[in-house]
Amino acid sequence: MEDDDHLRRWFVRDILPYERELERYIARSCRDRAEIADIRQDVYARLIAGGMAARAQSARAYLFTVARNVLIDRARRAKIVSFEQVADIESSWQPDTDAFERALTARDELRRAMEGLEQLPPRCREVVRLRKVEGLDIRETAARLGVGRHTVERQLTLGLRAMANYMLGGKGRIVRAPLMRRSEGGEA
Amino acid sequence: MSTATDLEQTAATWLVRREQPGWSDADDAELARWLASDAANKAAYWRLEHGWQQADRLGSRRGGDRSPPSFVPLRRYWSGLAACLLVVASISITVSLFTQRAALTPVRIATAIGMQRHVVLADGSRLVVNTDSALRTAVDRMSRTVWLDQGEAYFEVAHDARHPFVIRAGDRRITVLGTRFSVRRDGDAVRVSVVEGRVRVEGAGPETGTAAIVTAGDVAVARGASLLVVDRSPMVVEEALSWRTGMLTFDRTTLADAATEFNRYNRQKLTIADERAARLRIGGSFQATNVEAFARLLRGAFGLQVRTSSDTIRVES
Repeated sequence: MEDDDHLRRWFVRDILPYERELERYIARSCRDRAEIADIRQDVYARLIAGGMAARAQSARAYLFTVARNVLIDRARRAKIVSFEQVADIESSWQPDTDAFERALTARDELRRAMEGLEQLPPRCREVVRLRKVEGLDIRETAARLGVGRHTVERQLTLGLRAMANYMLGGKGRIVRAPLMRRSEGGEA
Repeated sequence: MSTATDLEQTAATWLVRREQPGWSDADDAELARWLASDAANKAAYWRLEHGWQQADRLGSRRGGDRSPPSFVPLRRYWSGLAACLLVVASISITVSLFTQRAALTPVRIATAIGMQRHVVLADGSRLVVNTDSALRTAVDRMSRTVWLDQGEAYFEVAHDARHPFVIRAGDRRITVLGTRFSVRRDGDAVRVSVVEGRVRVEGAGPETGTAAIVTAGDVAVARGASLLVVDRSPMVVEEALSWRTGMLTFDRTTLADAATEFNRYNRQKLTIADERAARLRIGGSFQATNVEAFARLLRGAFGLQVRTSSDTIRVES
């Protein structure tokens, strides 16, 4: 558990800040948004499974090495392999050395969180607001809004994902599993 | 059908439930089992947990109460509180001042061993944070303070004569208006190397009250009550800062000192086993994170014995 804690801190501090850059890198050889999310998740899982072993080197270099391997594996497994695609993956990803990382100040972070909240669909936004700003739990939120607890939980879960995505530099769109019905609140 | 989306949904459900009042030890154990069962679960959960926590700042929108984060130094808290009281007392002070003061919660920046981070602060100043370091920044247009808690950072401070840039390293305070320099902290020793312009180094307490102006090409070393300023050539100072490009530069440096330097950047530690080898002097530029290449050179150039294990490289004559 001690080790896990180290691993989690490393992942959160040294890997997650590159999420946007990682997604752009993946998007070079893959267009489908759901597939990009799959590949990103796959990369993260491999990094975590790899654990302590490769951590002496730069986290960013390690991240993009793993990403490249995942993309190559995917290209190999695909029935039709485009040579162009493999060539593209093989070509090294030039780090943008001028891209200084912006330290989010408390105020930037608040502004970003407010923007993220703002663009949620109305019902989802209200549920997230009651949780994060007012600190209400699901039961209290359900009572306040006069809706079922199940609805609140579902909206909060969707809102949590969209907010987390937005705070990590993403677009913060609501992404539903295809099995869920779309009648629950509007699309972002 | 995306597997990542499904997994994310499951992870989000865990996070939502964990924040609810009924969360029990049994739930906690079940979550731990779920996390332990697959690295993919950890990836999805840790990612969402982090992003969701970052939105916690929204809590400050509730009423007017802002409890200070635990790492804010007490004095800062009181001065913040005093600023708030002033606002309450004097209606003429604008709301913007209030939000500016209150928003100055320090931002924490840390690096792991072997890592470096480039950061631009709100006032346009640039930092390069060296290996295994931790600092906090509270910088906006009104005031500029950085606490160096551990390690080393290089600063290119944006010029602003009206708002001095203050770095606090232990009980030392370094004040600048706009220049390039680095601050390194090893326990209670603080070393300031100035590349351009001038900075003022002073102690914060009665014990360390001496102040000195350090100019380009100078290195100031402060420890306890003493403050030593050494005049070096600007070239020597530039070399001491070559870590910014991932290189370590040595000039007639003892092997013992070089090993200490390498060990700041690598988990695999270099140990010099005997006195004779430790006293050897070396020069040149080396890649900070490639300690193995350095050890190979030692074997080649000095005929030293090199034994490598997973966490150490042992060198002896």
